[in-house]
Amino acid sequence: MIDATSGRKILLLSLAAGFGLWAVAFVALYAMLSIGCAFGWDRGSLVLGLSLQRLQLLLLLGIFLALHVALVVGLSARQQRSDTATDRFLHSAARLAAIAALAASMFTYCGTVLLTTCNP
Amino acid sequence: MLAGATVIFLATSLALAGAFIPSIRPLLTPKRLILWGGLVVPSLGLTALVAGAFTLGERLLPRQGAETLRIEVVARQFAWEFRYPGTPVATRDVLHIPVGRDIDFAVTSEDVIHSFWIPRLGGKIDAIPGHKNIVRLRADAPGTYGGICAEYCGEGHAPMRFIVIAHAPEDYEAALTSEAAR
Ligand SMILES: [Cu+2]
Repeated sequence: MIDATSGRKILLLSLAAGFGLWAVAFVALYAMLSIGCAFGWDRGSLVLGLSLQRLQLLLLLGIFLALHVALVVGLSARQQRSDTATDRFLHSAARLAAIAALAASMFTYCGTVLLTTCNP
Repeated sequence: MLAGATVIFLATSLALAGAFIPSIRPLLTPKRLILWGGLVVPSLGLTALVAGAFTLGERLLPRQGAETLRIEVVARQFAWEFRYPGTPVATRDVLHIPVGRDIDFAVTSEDVIHSFWIPRLGGKIDAIPGHKNIVRLRADAPGTYGGICAEYCGEGHAPMRFIVIAHAPEDYEAALTSEAAR
């Protein structure tokens, strides 16, 4: 059983969940970009004219966007089950922050789709 | 830049005027301020900046082309050596470049990490032993530019400077020839 106080602690943490996910995606994409360049994954094409580098980055981005959507959906579902006014406020703030983080991820990582990945 | 600064200045002035002129105040509802000042305007500004940075970044990539020139830069405690591929010329602490042409500088070091920087021509890049970093720069006007080492590299770091001479295309060949004769 989670009592009210510890439940609220988790709720407080969920305020940072959306942008926490954004930050994890940033580190993951940056790391995999650098690893791919070091191993020359950007050379040649694997499927449909896309290089291994592009494919793995797109896959990673896809996973993180799906996690973002799952977070928004999950928080929306929990919002409906909150009873006190404080809980309702925290839930709605966390949900809106998660939506903003999804938009932020789409905006900041759109370069993954288009830009040259490694120094030629 | 001036146009953007003017727009931001006027918008801020309007918000400030609301504090003094009561008739403006009804226009500045919290909802409007948050929507326009917090969402629409920053989003438009950031989108323009990101689009600009992306296109500029693509153009700055050192792609091999017939148009671009390559110059090799070797840093060591505490001097700069410049080599001009296709010629036997090597210069020390003086860099000759032609005007109006993209130049890819392949920068490396023989000892510790240095950093190659010509502030008036753009960004700097680290000179790392055993590794070649490339930075693309371009001088649009002939003249002399100062260059420095931008990474602390030892006792002689501060005076580790070089001079960049940007020549008109025909003078550039002549400058290299006279350097070769030395
Ligand atoms: Cu140095």
